[in-house]
Amino acid sequence: MSETLLAIENLRTYFYSRAKRAFIRSVDGVSLSVERGKTLGVVGESGSGKTVTALSAAGLVTASPGVIGGTITLRSNGSARNVLDGLERYVHAEEEDGRVVAVEKDERGWRRRSEALLAGVRGKEIAMIFQNPRAALNPYSTVGSQLVETIRLHTSFRGRGEAKERAIHWLERVRIDSPRLRFDNFPFGMSGGMCQRAMLAMALSAEPSLLIADEPTTGLDATIQSRIVDLLAELKAETAVATILISHDISVIQRLSDRVAVMYGGTVVETGRVDEVLAPEVEARHPYTAALLASIPNAETIRRKSYLQAIEGDVLDTIDVPRGCRFYGRCNRVKEAIRERCAGLEPPLAEVTPGHKIRCWLYPASANTAQKP
Amino acid sequence: MSKAILEVTGLRKDFSQFLGLLAKLTGETRVIPAVDGVSFYLRENETVGLVGESGCGKTTIGRTVLRLTDPSSGRIVFDGRDITHLSRAELRPLRREMQMIFQDLDAGLNPAMRVRDILREALTVHERPGDAEIASRIRELLEQVNLKESKLANFPSELSGGEKRRVGIARVLAVRPRLIVADEPTSALDISIQAQVVNLMRDLQKHLGLTYLFISHDLPVVELVSDKVAVMYLGRIVEMGLADDIAHRPRHPYTKILWASLADKQSMEASRRVHDVPVEAERRAWGAYDFEQPSGGCRFAPRCPLYQQQGRPAVCTDPASEPALRDAGKGHVVACHFA
Repeated sequence: MSETLLAIENLRTYFYSRAKRAFIRSVDGVSLSVERGKTLGVVGESGSGKTVTALSAAGLVTASPGVIGGTITLRSNGSARNVLDGLERYVHAEEEDGRVVAVEKDERGWRRRSEALLAGVRGKEIAMIFQNPRAALNPYSTVGSQLVETIRLHTSFRGRGEAKERAIHWLERVRIDSPRLRFDNFPFGMSGGMCQRAMLAMALSAEPSLLIADEPTTGLDATIQSRIVDLLAELKAETAVATILISHDISVIQRLSDRVAVMYGGTVVETGRVDEVLAPEVEARHPYTAALLASIPNAETIRRKSYLQAIEGDVLDTIDVPRGCRFYGRCNRVKEAIRERCAGLEPPLAEVTPGHKIRCWLYPASANTAQKP
Repeated sequence: MSKAILEVTGLRKDFSQFLGLLAKLTGETRVIPAVDGVSFYLRENETVGLVGESGCGKTTIGRTVLRLTDPSSGRIVFDGRDITHLSRAELRPLRREMQMIFQDLDAGLNPAMRVRDILREALTVHERPGDAEIASRIRELLEQVNLKESKLANFPSELSGGEKRRVGIARVLAVRPRLIVADEPTSALDISIQAQVVNLMRDLQKHLGLTYLFISHDLPVVELVSDKVAVMYLGRIVEMGLADDIAHRPRHPYTKILWASLADKQSMEASRRVHDVPVEAERRAWGAYDFEQPSGGCRFAPRCPLYQQQGRPAVCTDPASEPALRDAGKGHVVACHFA
């Protein structure tokens, strides 16, 4: 059994929509964990809360009210720290029927506390790469100088000369050709794939224990995407950095992940080993995961030129969250016997087999878990 | 066999590059051929998929064949009529027969207009129907794109991505087009919504007899919806044939790499198998083609694994012998000296 590096428990991150006069429940009770050196793939559609979960973990949520509950525990260097420790002092959430209706948050107090807790964590222990690498790089400074800055800040290579050598070493490791020349390039002179490599070099150069990769291949060309995926696979083997990989591209998740979490409407609806959740022949599966896999053209649908099995309805907006199961309105596997429960009561994320959890009333384990106090 | 509704011959579109004021004053110019001598045709009621990486000229072809931008040279024949040099006024009646679906979900949806007014405007651009007819046509359009009537009162900002796409399609259908250029119609949508839109577009084709030029980088979707597929690389079609042949029996090394990159993402073995080139050699060769200083011959040669395997034959980089499309049987054409 390997050791848990990061554990997110019951995280809630809300935003207030002035236009709608309501909360957007982007992340609504998410629990996830990543083991040391392993990759957790997070799959979900836009608005499912995958990015906001990651941003919350890195303390990068700025909109109000933001993180309002939960714990995020990072275990490194033999100690464990909750980067949301003491949050309850700054947040007062008013609940009605177990649902948050009003939030009072001392934003400044919270931010000060959060920044103190994250000092030495963000950028050092937890590094991030984003979907749009060009936007994340500073356009006014060369790739090399940005790398040197990171290295001098976060590692023991403090001298300019040694930091530069280290930077070139990292450019080489992310397979950028002629790294010595590229060192002096500005981001605009580099292609999208190359910028993503530079981003990755910058993230890894701090020697983090956790890398959060948010849609690292989205927006790149097909051939470049597969290069970046190859690179991530190689680096995973070389550096043993634990990774939270966020993507809507199921093939990328399949290739790189050890465990997978499927998110829908701000919650995790299924989690387990990648072969338990995404392999084609698996039986126990959340109806959403099943429908998602079925809606992608496969060899069979293409050969027979048949229609795709679309999921009816629209992606849940997390403002009007239904009482019952969040997928109820689009689910094609609701049975009469459980319909009432599906519509009225949110199922718990229950263990179907050891390590494989599904949030659905179809699986008896859910009923058992719900009955427990 | 049905007749060709669109025939494109030797299409070329140059974009001139801005080199600074001094160059402008001295008259120095540099043109980049975004589309460089492309020929293809579409038969009525069929779908031709156009694939390739960003910057290869897919969208420019789509825009040029509809005359949304003027070709630099070449010939575009729509429904037996040469439209290459038609004036704006002459094009106007043809506009209703050829429409475009844009990648951007908000394109064509005026944010200050309600869905009802957006559709009404589309219905009254080319004709002057009465109120009763407008109402019945709007109802028909909603039914065709499977959109609830309650959405008519909404502004575009109140719609989800899938609904915006449906309104966009309804707006295009309002003029009863025959040819639709769909430029990445699904790429801005969530996976579960993509399937809905792909199904909808195929349904509409069946019921309304539409012809699609389907531009996308989503290879499985292209393979699913297309009868024929054209693969583009840097402004040229390098291979074209039946969708099944292109996907499963590709000849051109670029097509092979493109389709393999799909399998690639799933396993390292597949990746190794396909590239079949020493990684080092390939990495060196992976430089992009430089439009500004074009190397001679085949544009794909600098990235081509076959070129490496063949021991860098001179013919591949010979400026006098850029490979032309040649017949490989069954209407399958490929532009490569060795494929």
